[in-house]
Amino acid sequence: MISGCAANSLQCARPRRAAGSRRVHLSQLMALVVAWLAMGASCLHAQQSSPTENQVKSAYLYNFGKFVEWPAKGVTGGEFFTFCVLGDDSFSSTLETTIAGESINGKKVLAKRVAKPQDAVSCRILFISSSEQSRLKEIVAALEDTSVLTVSDMPQFTRRGGMIQFVVEANRVRFEVNLTNAERAGLTLSSQLLKVAIDVKRSAQPGS
Amino acid sequence: MFRVRGSSITKRLTTMNILVSGAALLISCAAFVAYDRVSFRRAMVHNLSIQAQIAGSNSVSALLFDDARTAESTLSALKAAPNIVSAGIYTPEGRPFAMYRRDGAGENLELPPILSGQIEAHWFEDGQLTVVRTIVFQEKPAGTVFIRSDLQEMSHRLKRYAGIAALVLFASLIAALLVASVFQRAVAEPIVHLATIAGIVSRDKDYSVRATSTGNRDEPDILIQAFNEMLEQIQQREGALQRAQHELEQRVRERTTQLAVTNKELDLRNREVERATQMKSKFLASMSHELRTPLNAIVGFSDLLAEGTPGQLNDKQKRFVNHIKQGSAHLLQLINDILDLSKIEAGQLEMRTEEFFVKDALPEVLSTIHPLAMAKNIRVEQKVESKSLVKADRVRLKQILYNLLSNAVKFTPNDGRVAIECVDHWDFVRVSVTDSGIGIRPEDQKVIFDEFRQVEGSANGINEGTGLGLAITKRLVEQQGGQISVESELGKGSRFTFTLLAAETTSEVPPVAEPPTAPVIAASGRLTPLVLIVDDEGSARELLASYLEPEYRVATAESGAEALKKAQQLRPDAITLDVLMPASNGFETLAALRKNPETANIPVIILSIVDQKQVGFALGATDYLIKPVRKPALLETIRRHVPLPADDDSSILLVDDDPKALELLEETLRAAGYETQGVRSGRRALDVLANKAVGAILLDLLMPGMDGFEVIRHVRQEAALKDLPILVMTGKTLTAEEAALLSRETQALLQKNGSWQQQLIVELRRVIGGRKLAKSAGQS
Repeated sequence: MISGCAANSLQCARPRRAAGSRRVHLSQLMALVVAWLAMGASCLHAQQSSPTENQVKSAYLYNFGKFVEWPAKGVTGGEFFTFCVLGDDSFSSTLETTIAGESINGKKVLAKRVAKPQDAVSCRILFISSSEQSRLKEIVAALEDTSVLTVSDMPQFTRRGGMIQFVVEANRVRFEVNLTNAERAGLTLSSQLLKVAIDVKRSAQPGS
Repeated sequence: MFRVRGSSITKRLTTMNILVSGAALLISCAAFVAYDRVSFRRAMVHNLSIQAQIAGSNSVSALLFDDARTAESTLSALKAAPNIVSAGIYTPEGRPFAMYRRDGAGENLELPPILSGQIEAHWFEDGQLTVVRTIVFQEKPAGTVFIRSDLQEMSHRLKRYAGIAALVLFASLIAALLVASVFQRAVAEPIVHLATIAGIVSRDKDYSVRATSTGNRDEPDILIQAFNEMLEQIQQREGALQRAQHELEQRVRERTTQLAVTNKELDLRNREVERATQMKSKFLASMSHELRTPLNAIVGFSDLLAEGTPGQLNDKQKRFVNHIKQGSAHLLQLINDILDLSKIEAGQLEMRTEEFFVKDALPEVLSTIHPLAMAKNIRVEQKVESKSLVKADRVRLKQILYNLLSNAVKFTPNDGRVAIECVDHWDFVRVSVTDSGIGIRPEDQKVIFDEFRQVEGSANGINEGTGLGLAITKRLVEQQGGQISVESELGKGSRFTFTLLAAETTSEVPPVAEPPTAPVIAASGRLTPLVLIVDDEGSARELLASYLEPEYRVATAESGAEALKKAQQLRPDAITLDVLMPASNGFETLAALRKNPETANIPVIILSIVDQKQVGFALGATDYLIKPVRKPALLETIRRHVPLPADDDSSILLVDDDPKALELLEETLRAAGYETQGVRSGRRALDVLANKAVGAILLDLLMPGMDGFEVIRHVRQEAALKDLPILVMTGKTLTAEEAALLSRETQALLQKNGSWQQQLIVELRRVIGGRKLAKSAGQS
């Protein structure tokens, strides 16, 4: 396995001439994430930096954009695919670095911080930091009748009107889905996405 | 197979059908299977690729969200496809992410090769198909999926196909056989039938059989019809041929009958002709006999009268007798010539060809010619350069030479010259007789060889020939394969040239070959005693020779040396030797002759102007005569020393039915010193022989009762008379058989013509003398 690690590290370290630096960045990140997940810490000590939880979550967030369909009417933001972060500043910067230069369905991705839920109406995906737990009800209410995919790592998020909630399970980042909440927002979650979710909830009382 | 027949065409058709259909089926089956295999593989690849695609796209989220369990469960759906051995999903970096194995857990799966620039690759290996595909999600590689499938399905399918192909092949072969049997009926059967009929025709020569038509308008039927037409034509021709043959046979029979009739007629005519020929021959023979016999009497008695045997005649009587002599001699010559010519014309002249040298035939002729020439003081020269044997009849050659030479002498004035030359010329020996006579005019040269043509205008009494001599000569030359020609200038002389065929072998016969038993006439001159004349003067030699000839043969030598050589070579019966000679004188020569045992016993008679008898006799000379020598003295001396036939104690028995001839012979022989007894029939002759010993018989051939041939037969049967010399004298024309018989049984043959008396004496001396010599040689 040491040799395998060596090979991986080499491959990871190899510069890609054709690609832009940002693109390299994500690929590297992805590789690091996967490597970290699969091989465990023994191998990771060789990497320059192991992906943090926030980095993994940022990558997942980006991936969600690929498996979700937004209704044609409810989409705003024009030519950009906007990721918004409500709350915690540190995540926002991690996300920004992670998805910089990428695009989804031909649209360039854009990360921005929002201060209040009303600002997130034009976002496609809104990450709600755990710090906003207290005013979650308000946020959900604010986003009612919009097509924003809400993601958070706060507990009970899907039970309380959220759509996708990160769960750390055995040192791995997983997620669960409340499909009813997503469908209410007019979003279609790919079965592929649902397949990898650890839990897909269907029934939930809005606002509870 | 369906029809058991020995015909090879049936077998071949069947074999061909099976082979063709089998080959076609095999090729098409092979092509079909090959194509199916290719397309099946392609379909397999396609299916597997789709499955890989599905598996891949179903695993995208699992990959992205690092959910290996989900990926594995996705892969486990492949259980539904029993052909899939294993499958796997790998991260973009090539790490195994999720695995599926049909047989449950197994060893770790190896990494599939990394694709370069393609999103999918497949390969067949170890009976397995592997498809590797890059999982692309939103234009980005999300990982790699591979699926491995076994090929059992394909091999099952191929096995199935092989079974089906074998089945189809088998069914097709059966069908082909069935079809072949149908074809045989349609194609082979007419041909087999045709072959059978052709076999019958060629074996039995029966052209009436016909092949049966198939009824179809196909090629075999056309063949059969053509064959039948051919048979028809052959049959017709055969018939025509047989008819023609019958006609031909009929015609041949008719012709044969005709021929037989013609043959019979021809035979009859032939016999008539034969009889006529025989009659002609008989006529000629009796003519020759009947005419010559009285003429002989006339000639002989007038000779005797002229010689004065019965008493001296006065001058007038002598002149008359000479006229008779000349006239009768001319008549005899004429008769002989006419007989010769008619024999030649009738083709009855028989040539007895032998090989000899011309110079051997010359002396005899010259001995006859010399007296004629000497009477006119004509010089006779001979120049014989020929070294070749000629192939000719010796007697006829002598006749030719005699004719030409006597002509030459006749037409040459006194003191003239006659020459005979003989040279080799290619394959011929050319003999020419030249004279210095009156010559022949050019216009006469053309007719000179015609019968009864004589050169006109020679009125000076020379013209006394028969006019047949040259005609006969020409014919004789031509009958022997030669040619004769004449060249002449009027007043200067003529030259007659004729050719004789040269014999092919020249070297084998020695130059002085003297066969001990030569034909009688040919040998007549040869056994005449030979005298060698040795003198340095040509005229003296000639004179002596003329004295001695024709009783003796003559050889000459100019010098002592030549004399020694010739004496040893020729063994002469006597030698006349001159003493005064330039090189070596006669006495030396004599001494040398006596010294050599081979020549010591030859009588040598010295003829010299000087009288040195004592020296001569001391040296061994036999006799010595002083020149000038006269003829009688020389002859007498030589006769004394050379054994001569005349012998008192033996008489000659003369047999001739003609009393005149008998008397003539008696007179002639008595004049020559012989005793005679004459009888007139063969029977009488045998009676005399039974009681009395005689020296020789002189026999006529044609006599009434017992003829000469019978006498000879009787005489030769008696042992005591076996060696008795018989001389035949006849006017009869002899056939080849008769001549052969006579040459075998008798010692001499004389023709009753002009100069027979002299020849008779010569022959008698030769025969009797020769016999005596032989006897004395036997005694010593």
